[in-house]
Amino acid sequence: MSARTRNLISGLLWTSPWLVGFAVFLFLPLAMSLWYSFTDYPLLKPPVYIGMENYTGLLHDDKFWLVVKNTLVYSAFAIPLSTLVSLVVAAWLATPGLRARGFFLGAVFLPTLVPMMAAAMVWLWLFNAENGLINVLLKFVGVSGPIWLNDARWSIPALVLTGLWGVGQMVVVYVAAINEVPAALYEAATLDGMGPVRRFQHVTLPLITPAVLFNVITLTIGSLQIFVMPYVLFRNEQGQRDSGNMYNLLLYDNAFVYQKFGYASAMAWVQLLVVLALTGIMMFASKRLVHYRGAA
Amino acid sequence: MSEINPNRRPAAILYLMLGMTAVLFLTPLVWMGATSLKPERQAASQELRLLPDPASSTFSQAAKNYSEVWNDPSVEFPIYLRNTLIVAGLAVVGMTISSAMVAYGLSRIRWPGRGAVFFTVLLSMMIPFPVIMVPLFLVFRDLGWIGTLKPLWVPAWFGGAFNIFMLRQFFMGIPRDLDEAALIDGLSQWGIFWRVIVPLSRPALAVVALFHFIYVWNDFLAPLVFITSRDQFTLALGLQLYQSKSGLTPWNLLMAASTMVVIPVLVLFIMTQGALVRGVAAAGLKE
Amino acid sequence: MTTPGDISRRAAIGTLAAGAAWFAAFGPRSERDAIASKGKLVLDYWEKWTGIEGQAMQKIVDAFNASQDKIYVRYLITNSIHQKSLIAILGGAPPDVIGLYAFNVPSYSEARAILPLDDLAASHGLKMSDYASGLHQVMRHDGQWTAIINTCGTLALYWNRAIFRECADALKASGVDPDKGPQTIEQLDAAHVATTRVAGGAPLGKGPLERAGFLHLEPGWWSWIWGQPFGGHIMQDGLATCGSPDFVKGYQWVQSYPRELGSEHVEKFRAGFGPYGTPQCAFLTGKVAMCVQGPWMANLINQYTPTLDYGVVPIPMIQSLADPARPLGVIDTDVLVIPRGCKDPEASMQFIAFTQRPENVEALALAHCKGSPLVKVSESFYAQHKNRGVRLHTALASSPRAFVPPPVPEWTEWKDGFDSTIQDLWRLRGEPGPAMERLQARGQSLLDQAAARRAMRGERNG
Repeated sequence: MSARTRNLISGLLWTSPWLVGFAVFLFLPLAMSLWYSFTDYPLLKPPVYIGMENYTGLLHDDKFWLVVKNTLVYSAFAIPLSTLVSLVVAAWLATPGLRARGFFLGAVFLPTLVPMMAAAMVWLWLFNAENGLINVLLKFVGVSGPIWLNDARWSIPALVLTGLWGVGQMVVVYVAAINEVPAALYEAATLDGMGPVRRFQHVTLPLITPAVLFNVITLTIGSLQIFVMPYVLFRNEQGQRDSGNMYNLLLYDNAFVYQKFGYASAMAWVQLLVVLALTGIMMFASKRLVHYRGAA
Repeated sequence: MSEINPNRRPAAILYLMLGMTAVLFLTPLVWMGATSLKPERQAASQELRLLPDPASSTFSQAAKNYSEVWNDPSVEFPIYLRNTLIVAGLAVVGMTISSAMVAYGLSRIRWPGRGAVFFTVLLSMMIPFPVIMVPLFLVFRDLGWIGTLKPLWVPAWFGGAFNIFMLRQFFMGIPRDLDEAALIDGLSQWGIFWRVIVPLSRPALAVVALFHFIYVWNDFLAPLVFITSRDQFTLALGLQLYQSKSGLTPWNLLMAASTMVVIPVLVLFIMTQGALVRGVAAAGLKE
Repeated sequence: MTTPGDISRRAAIGTLAAGAAWFAAFGPRSERDAIASKGKLVLDYWEKWTGIEGQAMQKIVDAFNASQDKIYVRYLITNSIHQKSLIAILGGAPPDVIGLYAFNVPSYSEARAILPLDDLAASHGLKMSDYASGLHQVMRHDGQWTAIINTCGTLALYWNRAIFRECADALKASGVDPDKGPQTIEQLDAAHVATTRVAGGAPLGKGPLERAGFLHLEPGWWSWIWGQPFGGHIMQDGLATCGSPDFVKGYQWVQSYPRELGSEHVEKFRAGFGPYGTPQCAFLTGKVAMCVQGPWMANLINQYTPTLDYGVVPIPMIQSLADPARPLGVIDTDVLVIPRGCKDPEASMQFIAFTQRPENVEALALAHCKGSPLVKVSESFYAQHKNRGVRLHTALASSPRAFVPPPVPEWTEWKDGFDSTIQDLWRLRGEPGPAMERLQARGQSLLDQAAARRAMRGERNG
């Protein structure tokens, strides 16, 4: 047996858990869902092939377009705002000589560890129009708060707000990235008379673009898949069903409430293709924008 | 200019901004805890106070709220806690061992097809869970796992893409000479893995274990879909069950239940903050 | 490098892990294991009721468990019961008895997720003719007996007598008898105007609300009933008809309320309502003078505001259709079904039959404050009952005008459309005519698609 064959065998052996897991828990379901997306599959009856009907059905489904719109609007606000907030907070946290950095970082990071379900409960309570903390505080400063979850116009802003609360992970990544920027570059920039803001813009930002790319891709995938928060905030008696309805909520409904497995699978595949396309585009665009140290 | 000195103390305004940020981020959790300590009437009022009135009743009221939640016969939190611990324990052990093994195969052995396998790892990180949720359910059904806890922990024994990715990066950084020295000493691959790589990678493995524990503890969608019987509920599901009773469930009890689910994560975070933060940073920085 | 801090931290983590492992290994076990170990057949009964309602059912379950020694029924509260149950049946791990909502029965039956009960029920002495006539449409699907009535809910208009007395003069002036409550839609409108209070005594729509006479969305659970008082139907002869002129009139009527009161004012006002089931819910606090509700409302009143003086009348219809002998009855019942794949259908039926003994049916109905689903009702039932409207609620189940939502599997999805549409109309987004026409088209396309798919599978069309 040649060394090459031996290595092949041992490589396959070492990675066999993944290979088996990938085949059974990812590839097989993926293939099944592709097949179901071309069938009528009402749960307890066998699937029957119906060609492209599920996909053409999506085109004419108002509900589908509504959740597409909502999810995109949410993402369009959540992604830039979360990126902005996390960058700013990270820039503060990366300031040299900062004391109690661990505490501040911990405070920002902690919310990302809270179970989504518990977090959603807390926000449900904070958004309570009458006694919720947000409106009570607003009242305290003399502003009459909106009725948040009862007002369609505030559904997405409320979701974005809860999203901002969960930027901790990105902040940590940015802080680490900023810390790797050589101090000499800052000194040079300072000597050139740049203030903190311009320094961040012209020195820090270009050098941490790989981290930005990583975060934006993760954030995009996450935003398009938002589920638990709108599920808790809007799937209750008083919630705004439509304005808070998101792509994955409708997918879940179609699969497990309306018993349209085939239709739900078509929705799932549309989502997969969109995520792959967006990731691809970002990777491609990044070739021009992202600065990898050593490459320049 | 005065800013040349990098050791210059950050301005007070920075502390002010950071302090406000910290307050904003912590307020929801603090308010959750505060609400859980109050009697129902005070919880559902516009009063801005952290402790119940009178403050001396804090402990007795807290004991009352928490024991009421813990002992609610219609929502069996003790059973859910036990289920969650079983799932978390089995999943964390399986995830850590299997991810490390796969990462070893992808980083320390050169073999044809390695790149292709690594590509499947990267690709799988982009597959949204809902895409496979439905057929996965059918796979679990055909395996006879519905009605048991298996769907929540068995897959962890086959490795997780993100963890494999992270560990692979870490293993790549371990000098190759070590393997060669070990080979000369007559160690097999298995021996190298256990005696060389694993001991050197303890911090990275701990981060994987921690993250997976938190992931399992927090996961909601998978239990929502795969767990049908009340005997197998996890805490996250139990919490939702508790909320859906909320027609009659007062906010103070709901927040007590939420706090109960959050506290273990909180304790774990405080004890391991450094490692966790380093882990996140490492995962995000490596390309 | 190991510092003392590391050691103590490791010790702490180790202790925690050991404690967790101990709890996982020896922690509390579910009731099922304990009982099954005693050689009894354990049946899981999933039900949605919590609180008082749940306790009442638990009592009957306990009585059943005590009545024999072979079967032990576990009462398990389950949220989103219709989704959870379906997933469990699909996964081959269903419970043994499920307490569904009536509107779930067609889709479950169509999907063959529940067992036909004709033979099982007969062998335990249950007869369809024992149940009120209006309920038969819930119990049968496609000619098969599929569901058994657990408790019988019919909707009616609850009105606050104290508020009506307070506004007696204005009511009389507009032709409403303040002691009888509104009898027609026209009287309901008049009563609404007479009992609504705007801050500073401003005219309707010119200021924040202090009290509303009637708001269709309090509670907003039945988004689909408002065409019926105007003679419309959601579906007739298998066709969607919720865009018909009569049906649309109902939704024009719904929208006229926020138009008149000012949408902003209404929403601000509603935001201050507590959720159903709390003492802060609008009818209990007198923030609304009238609301459409089921008989369970009396339970809330008795529990939280026992002094509230209320009356119960049928949901009014427009003057030209109103007929005291044929009142409008919306049936919203809870049913028991036996899922496919349960452990022992015979045992499940034995338990269900026990719940259907007249004394148990009445005991449960008493606790839930609901009417009786049975044709024969004991006088002591009425005598003990804590809902003033119990006779009305019971009678509504037998009214020729008792109706249920369309008994088709597609209703679940169609109904979500009603929920969305009424929210839009209520907030003055869109006109009722086109909105209801769209909803009709939506419903019809759901029906057509389902029919085509059934034909494709070679199934008969129901």
